[in-house]
Amino acid sequence: MLLVKSWYEVVRRTRFKIFALSTLYAVATAHAESEVNWQTELWLEEAMPPAFRVESSELEGPVYADTNGRTLYTWPLHVQRNGYSGESPGTPACYDEVLTVTAGLMSPYPPGIQLPDLDTRPSCTDLWPPVVADKDDKPLGKWTIVLRRDGSRQWAYDDQPLYTSIYDKKPGDVFGGTKRRYGGDDPSKRVPVSPPSKVPPGFSVATITIGRILTTDQNESVYSYATDTAEQTMCIGECTQRWEPVIAPALAGKNGEWSTLERSPGVMQWVFRGHPLYTHVLDQHSWSQQGSDVAGWSNVFTQRAPSPPADFTSQTTIGGEVLADANGKTVYIYRCGDDSADQLACDHPNDTQVYRLSMCGGGDARRCLEYWPYVRAEKAAASNNNIWTVLSIDPETGHFASPEQENAINVWGYRDRPVYTYGGDLKPGDVNGDGTGEHRGQRNGLQAFMLRDDFMGGTL
Amino acid sequence: MAVKQYKKVLITSALLIFASSGFGQEARLKNGTIGYVMTDLFWAVYQTPDAQEECPKGFNSGPREQFAALFPDHESMTVEETQLRQEIETWHPTADPDGFPYYDVEGGFSWGLNLDGDISANDFTHPSGERGIDNEVYRAVGCIIGFRGPLGVEYIFQNKAILDERYNRMMIELTGVDNLQNDEEVTVNLYRGLDTLLTDATGLKAMAGGSQRIDTRWGASLMRHTTGKIVDGTLTTEPIDEMVMPWMNLGVKSIHIFRDMRLQLKLTDTGAEGLVAGYADVDTWHKQLIRNDSTHHLSNGEISGISLYKALRRLADGHPDMETGENTSISTALDVKMVQVFIVHPKSMNVSTAKLTNR
Repeated sequence: MLLVKSWYEVVRRTRFKIFALSTLYAVATAHAESEVNWQTELWLEEAMPPAFRVESSELEGPVYADTNGRTLYTWPLHVQRNGYSGESPGTPACYDEVLTVTAGLMSPYPPGIQLPDLDTRPSCTDLWPPVVADKDDKPLGKWTIVLRRDGSRQWAYDDQPLYTSIYDKKPGDVFGGTKRRYGGDDPSKRVPVSPPSKVPPGFSVATITIGRILTTDQNESVYSYATDTAEQTMCIGECTQRWEPVIAPALAGKNGEWSTLERSPGVMQWVFRGHPLYTHVLDQHSWSQQGSDVAGWSNVFTQRAPSPPADFTSQTTIGGEVLADANGKTVYIYRCGDDSADQLACDHPNDTQVYRLSMCGGGDARRCLEYWPYVRAEKAAASNNNIWTVLSIDPETGHFASPEQENAINVWGYRDRPVYTYGGDLKPGDVNGDGTGEHRGQRNGLQAFMLRDDFMGGTL
Repeated sequence: MAVKQYKKVLITSALLIFASSGFGQEARLKNGTIGYVMTDLFWAVYQTPDAQEECPKGFNSGPREQFAALFPDHESMTVEETQLRQEIETWHPTADPDGFPYYDVEGGFSWGLNLDGDISANDFTHPSGERGIDNEVYRAVGCIIGFRGPLGVEYIFQNKAILDERYNRMMIELTGVDNLQNDEEVTVNLYRGLDTLLTDATGLKAMAGGSQRIDTRWGASLMRHTTGKIVDGTLTTEPIDEMVMPWMNLGVKSIHIFRDMRLQLKLTDTGAEGLVAGYADVDTWHKQLIRNDSTHHLSNGEISGISLYKALRRLADGHPDMETGENTSISTALDVKMVQVFIVHPKSMNVSTAKLTNR
């Protein structure tokens, strides 16, 4: 990573050294591309202790994992309304203590209020086991070792202590957290740790609901044109007034999925997976999909998100495109994080349901089923991925049903959490439930599952 | 040099005279058509300097004050008994009393229009002397600090979003206009625009003369048409049965629904200013507020979402429910400002449909 970062910085400072640095880039990344997979995102290999490896996840691209394939997470410091939570670099804050009262981080409610379900409340490490370093383990590159309060050693990346999530069951699962952008009123989240995406300097990759979108490092979406090839572009002349070619350094060469096209003598254009890349001058916000409205033009992804169930639909709303059920009703995701110092999530069927039930039904599970019904799944329904799955839920509690439970219902789950529709949506395209709940649905509430958002700064 | 300067002054003066003459109006009123885009929108709240006239009992309490009064021993209580109880009351509101006094506006004056054509004891009088003004939203929110200018949290931020956010970009287009001063009948089209506003260098003041494409895709359901007449430069429209107004200020795709909505606007060739008035759907009004502004934000304006809902229900004065007879809407008025804009109609509506992901 040091090599890549230094290249990036130098390229920004001078164009003189581009040739030499491009060569270094090729060397540094060659062994990370043993096999080009057009479906998943490649990464830049960096020095890594033997205890770890890289797994390809379906939503978040490549992620670091322990030897058992369990995804690694950090808990970065996050400013909240009344203070900070999360971990400062080098300082573990997640311990085996069951916290009993609120921290008062979220205005307007004061601290010191007793948290719900204390008899079953887990400690932080019950949910987030620390990644323990053996006594002989040694730091390597970005991988360091920090000391916990009891003197035990914990692995860290970029000085952020590392954890796994009990919600991840298989290699590549990322059910514990996300790299998607979150804001000031969100809980301080756990974030999966990833190697750098294998993209040249000047590009970036971000997770949105429909995939890992490729952008410039200024978050401008990049596009490809259907009839272009790696050797020839059909966008010339007037076309380039609307579609600006993404210019590559003159001496950049072919590197795995990346190559260049000489548009005119001495003017090179980046090519990804055989398609020359452009930005769209009429895009009005970051991570835009507006250019894809033009026939033949498409956003570029390093990998696409797994498909939703086959009978789900897409509906046009006043804010963009939303995922909907088979009847066209908008699909919502429940989001929740408590106000303890641990900032434990409460959005999973294994978590306390006190918060969700208060919001969806005023504390009444039956009213929840009426106001915010689950998106039901046929018992035999199947999914071709691990992100959309059929969950068996106890409708009286909201927890997972026990095996053979008679009143269990089958519902569609996204990231191992049920999805819902809203009783107040009367027709396809209604999003009347979006932002329901505390802090616009960010902490204890529901938000629409947007596939495209043209007005709120993208779907990040 | 002096001659050069003289020429410069002469040319500048000529340009200014040219710009302020009828030419600008002709250029903007083209083929009987002129467009305006909304830049400011406030709940019309009639205020006296010390509020003694309209709020003699003082202002209403907000979430922090109510929480402190309800739960002085909150440290011996649970989240369910305190925080979640208040959130449930906010998100699943009822019209039942909450135990806190609620201060309606008591003054006799209000901005607004006579929506029902009647003059009743419950109506306000316009500061101009016109009687029969219907504005019960004002009666409900006029004694809440957050809705009062110039420092109320809603007064500032909801309006700021009108200028800043394309989502809120409502426009009117007048067609069939012979004269901006007097015209017996003009057609009024409502659209949402797709573009950012043309502003001065500060970015804070919208300028006339910008362009706006019509949002025929996401905003298709927002299009409305009515007619109106212009008398002495003031446009008054016929009511629109139901206007959906996109209005978000903190990133939530929220709306207001105004029934029997009409506009009363003083027109010039560079802008329009006046009122949007009608009957707001009560539940939608309340949800628009609490979906955008969490209890935290409401606290900053001492706005109790719980108490306010009860007031809105109590003061609702329109569109009774067919079964229960309960009024479902509440009369209201908004102060609106617009600047002239050239509205660009699409050549076609060819857009791709959203793609569900596939691998």
